[in-house]
Amino acid sequence: MIEAHNVTKFFSVVNEDRTADGATALLSVSLTIEDGTIVSLLGPSGCGKSTFLEILGGLQEPTEGCVYIDGKTVLEPLPATRREMIRYRRRHWFLSPLANSLFRNRPKHDIAMIFQDYAVFPWMTVLQNVTFALKLRGVKRGERKRIAREYLRKVGLADSLRKYPSQLSGGMRQRLALARALSVQPRIILMDEPFAAVDALTRERLQDDLLRLWDETGITIVLVTHDTDEALYLSDEVVIFSPSPGVVRNRFSVDLARPRRRTDPELLVLKERITSLFRYDIIHESEYSI
Amino acid sequence: MTNTRGTIRVVLRELGYFFKGAALNIFSWEFLTVLIPLVALWELLPQLGVVPRTLIPPPSDVIVTAWDLFVHQGFIHDIINSMGKFFLGLGIAIVTAIPLGILMGWNIAIRKRTLSLFQLLAPIPPPAWVPITIILFGIGLPMQTFLIFIGAFYPILFNTYQAVKDTDSRYLASARMFGASEFTLIVRVYFWHALGALIMSVKTGVAMGLVMLVIAEMYGGRTGIGFVLNEAKDYFQIPKMMVCMITLGGIGWFLIEVLKFIELKLAVWKGGAR
Repeated sequence: MIEAHNVTKFFSVVNEDRTADGATALLSVSLTIEDGTIVSLLGPSGCGKSTFLEILGGLQEPTEGCVYIDGKTVLEPLPATRREMIRYRRRHWFLSPLANSLFRNRPKHDIAMIFQDYAVFPWMTVLQNVTFALKLRGVKRGERKRIAREYLRKVGLADSLRKYPSQLSGGMRQRLALARALSVQPRIILMDEPFAAVDALTRERLQDDLLRLWDETGITIVLVTHDTDEALYLSDEVVIFSPSPGVVRNRFSVDLARPRRRTDPELLVLKERITSLFRYDIIHESEYSI
Repeated sequence: MTNTRGTIRVVLRELGYFFKGAALNIFSWEFLTVLIPLVALWELLPQLGVVPRTLIPPPSDVIVTAWDLFVHQGFIHDIINSMGKFFLGLGIAIVTAIPLGILMGWNIAIRKRTLSLFQLLAPIPPPAWVPITIILFGIGLPMQTFLIFIGAFYPILFNTYQAVKDTDSRYLASARMFGASEFTLIVRVYFWHALGALIMSVKTGVAMGLVMLVIAEMYGGRTGIGFVLNEAKDYFQIPKMMVCMITLGGIGWFLIEVLKFIELKLAVWKGGAR
């Protein structure tokens, strides 16, 4: 179970006229995500949903608030007072708190993450990409290749084991990223707009693949997207973010049995409600921004 | 037995690829249409007396002198001697600058403590190190090696550090999510991401190292290409100087080709189809 308590993220930025300014990316976001569900974080760009996902994954620390995964803290917020900050700096002068250990491969939490632009290593072959991830998770040498082949077969990349990612199409690269994330058998997968960079037909196929694999493994999936159709088709719950500052605007449960049809009337009704919400936000922007 | 024979066959095949590629790189048909008239002009102008032959000797004279140098005066020993120093200096520069650059690019704490020092020292033109080096090391191999090292060190260091620092954060994030330690990140992510720039930096190092090789041998040396070059100046042997210059140019070109080949072999993924 993922619990986020009052997560706030504040960025310092420098304006064009070189004055210091701040931007609130997230304001007091609280969210609970149950095990084995698919949850979509939906919103226009710039609403802090990607930042929230990175905080869930422990790639950024929150300014305030805390995230727990199965009761364990992901990352503490930075200290607020000057004295605490000095002590904190002294403790972390060499390695940042975001960094992993110096020599030993050891994941902090049982999470895998998939990025929008794949982030598969271009200098490794398809097979090496997956075996590398398995190696990092401490899978024994003899088992790595077998597991990697198994998961690559599941996503339909069994024929391209020796190819490099630059020789693959966008959809295939995303499949590779999916296989790599699934191969380590995580309990949670975080996806940051995973299907945004591929064409519409490939996207639908990838979505179906994802649902099939989710059905086999029963992991928790947190999906960031700005595509309402995708969010409704895939998820058990849709969390609507609204921008500046990023807050949770609304939550919709989608209680439809799978497999769903993309043109199911109930989905269309929900979609209409969500789009009207966004439209309302745009018209009444001043009332919702602080 | 079959294994060694197989290895030899692979090595020979790769050497064949290398020389074919290197030759094709420079002697394309398009380039030959430029090169041949140029050489012809160089031959004809002194022969016809348009320019004084004593000052600009034609290629035929240069070839005769080269034959004499290589066969009777043992010029090959000078080349081997120079290359020995060069690779020693360049080697020391590579094994110190690349790890240091990687460390500086990897960790901000190390960077903050070392970068300024190198930024203060690097603008000193390498030839300016000659006098103090001669006083400290005397004339001989240590001084020459040190000068070549100084010439090659900074370009390699700065290019490496910059490339490692600019490593795409997506790759780091995705490796960190799987639990990669910092050491694994350096070996499996930072290094490979910076590989192209690393080889580029060694190319710059080769160029600077050759510059410093000639300077070092001119100022303090009894052997080597730079020494022969300087000696030829004293006796007004212009063809001999030209042989030295062409030899240096050829060595530089050859080393760059070797590095290009290494890059091609290591960075297979960039080639796409293979």
